[in-house]
Amino acid sequence: MAMAKTGSRSLKYLLVAPAVFVILLIGLYPFIKLIVTSVQNITMFDDDRGFHGFVHFARLLEDSRLWESLLHTFGFTAVALPLELVLGYLLAILFLENMPFKRVFVAILLLPTVISPIVAGSTWRLMFDQRFGPVNQVIAWIAGEEVKLLWTVDPDLVWPAILVAEVWQWTPFMFLILLAALSNVDKAQLEAAKIDGASHWMTFRKVVLPAIMPVLVIAILIRALDLFRVFDVIWTMTGGGPGTMTETITIYAYQMAFREFEISYSSAIALFVIVSLTILVIAALRRVEIAR
Amino acid sequence: MRSQAKGKLISTAVATSIAMASPAIADSAADRAVEAAKQYAGTTLNVFYEAGLQPLDPKNFTGPMWEELTGIKINVIEAPLDQMFTKIMQDYRAGSGSFDVLNVVPNQMPDLVFAGALEPLDELVDKYGYRDELNGIAPVYRDNQMKVEGTIYGLPDDGDVLILYYRRDIFEDPDNMAEFKAKHGYDLGPPNSWKEFADIGQFITDKYAPDLYGAGMLRQPGNAQYMFQERFRVEGGRFFDPESMNATINSEVGVRVFNEMIEENKFMPPGVEQWGFIEAFNAFLAGDIAMSISWPPVGRWAAGYGKGTEALNWIPETKVADKIGYALPPGGRPELAVGFSFGVASGSKNKEAAYLFAQWMNSEEISLQRVQLPFALRDPFRTSHFSSPEYRSRWSSAPEYLDTLKAGAETGLLDLSLIQTDRYEEGIRQSISRLWAGDDPQEILDDLADQWNDLTERIGVDKQRRAYVDWANKPNAYPN
Repeated sequence: MAMAKTGSRSLKYLLVAPAVFVILLIGLYPFIKLIVTSVQNITMFDDDRGFHGFVHFARLLEDSRLWESLLHTFGFTAVALPLELVLGYLLAILFLENMPFKRVFVAILLLPTVISPIVAGSTWRLMFDQRFGPVNQVIAWIAGEEVKLLWTVDPDLVWPAILVAEVWQWTPFMFLILLAALSNVDKAQLEAAKIDGASHWMTFRKVVLPAIMPVLVIAILIRALDLFRVFDVIWTMTGGGPGTMTETITIYAYQMAFREFEISYSSAIALFVIVSLTILVIAALRRVEIAR
Repeated sequence: MRSQAKGKLISTAVATSIAMASPAIADSAADRAVEAAKQYAGTTLNVFYEAGLQPLDPKNFTGPMWEELTGIKINVIEAPLDQMFTKIMQDYRAGSGSFDVLNVVPNQMPDLVFAGALEPLDELVDKYGYRDELNGIAPVYRDNQMKVEGTIYGLPDDGDVLILYYRRDIFEDPDNMAEFKAKHGYDLGPPNSWKEFADIGQFITDKYAPDLYGAGMLRQPGNAQYMFQERFRVEGGRFFDPESMNATINSEVGVRVFNEMIEENKFMPPGVEQWGFIEAFNAFLAGDIAMSISWPPVGRWAAGYGKGTEALNWIPETKVADKIGYALPPGGRPELAVGFSFGVASGSKNKEAAYLFAQWMNSEEISLQRVQLPFALRDPFRTSHFSSPEYRSRWSSAPEYLDTLKAGAETGLLDLSLIQTDRYEEGIRQSISRLWAGDDPQEILDDLADQWNDLTERIGVDKQRRAYVDWANKPNAYPN
């Protein structure tokens, strides 16, 4: 009996072993390699694989460009996320009701999300072009005179331009998830709230929000992480410029690793970002868990 | 339809002339390369090229020809220009040996050499008797884009130089000439200085805009940095103090050049700050601008050369075909922006075959045909290319075009080349984007100087000084 139990347990381990191996290979190995590289000194010309101390982490503290890029990243996330959330929610509300061609409209709305971000960025760059772009042409038509709006050059316009591209592409994702969540809100509770004379706001806060909260939190988390590691759209629209004005942490890490070949330093940046994000995500999840 | 036939005719004529030229040049460098390469028949060479039109040459023209002559297959691997250095380094670091023949941007050559990614070529050059033909490469490319610390690492293969193109019909219009002379006291003609450039540009814009603007230039930071490097030196600027290696880019000259660039934008089409090669090229072809400074393909395509060639179908119809004048940019010292040399990857498993392919491509005989391919982006780089009767007969103003390129190949200024050049250039690119964003020129250049100084400190002042002095002592690093 005991032997059969042991055999059965071994079989279980054996069956999950390949999956564990793959996870370790694609997840754990790069992470360990990242840690090791961050304490070596690999640059364009040096290939020092010995222990080099924590000099690269010390450099992080003095690197003003790194902190600026982090600030840009947080700022961008802080603006884009609520925008996508609110717009996605409003769209979802709109599509909750039955309407003709609803499925067709939903499918059309979702199109931006299936476009590669690098293509979206390149397209928006052209859209915002002074000479050929339709955006300025439409504005000129409304204004009744030629306008000069350098969307990817002017410091006042460059972030709005990037935000437009980002929100255009990813609001449908929020919309889809929220539409699914809202569709599952208990109709009986909604009717009860209505009968009890609850206002729209009270109904939303006491009935709708608790019902969609688990899905909402996951959607916010996914989008926040996506926004934090935004690269393609900004890279294709501005390359991080003017100057380093739109440089985010991923663009900076890319520049360090693949343009300047500061491999060890960029590993330190990546490690710093991973650890910081992990702490933030765990804290956020705990908070939600406690609230529930 | 007729123009397509014309394009095919040009390609056929080029191919035929190669076939006819081969027996005429007995035991040429090209022949020697072919004979020696036959021992490697059956192998495949991976040739690394800039993505776009460049690879059409080895894919459709020289590659198949080489395979027929030697039995060696050519596999072309492409990457955008700004990723080429990274890809070469990544391949070298990974030790994967994915590349055999490399297209190397000359000012990045020292970095690749110091990293160990390039194979020295002197032995192979002597073994296959190529030294004499190397002497036929125009001096500015041969003397500056071939060696690192006295050793050959690349065969200069592209005569990139930024040339001024102007509208002859506007410049030679009697009314314009009289009005301009009355206003400025000198003749209207290709500008000799940036002051004249501004006078002429403003004059044309005042008279013709919005139908025609005085000029339209490469203003995207990636392109504009070359124009800044040129002007800064033409007007007397020096990048570093060679003693201390302190950056002197923030000198009075640098600030003046930045201010002038901002001022000039005012007589250029709105939004010129976003213009790269394509935008400036399109505007010139459309007849929207009277002057532009750009790479050599603009000059021949705007004249209609290659019209009807399938690979050039994307080029809009030129409205200025018979109206183009060619001249050196103001100051007469054009930037030899970018360019390419053929190198052999140190990680290649077929180094000798790779070298032989490079020698064959670069040879007098084959290169003359390659630079005439209508779709090629390879520009004349040998003395014989400039004087070729065949090339000079390609379109009516081809002689003037080739003479201008030849003059540029004598006086052209080298791109800055240091250890980790791209990091210094990245600083210029960011500075230019800040300039267009409206930041103060002095502040921008002070920041750039600080950035360069930090970088030099990190790389090692003595190490970088050696590299800088080596570059600065080349005849075409500074105007005088």
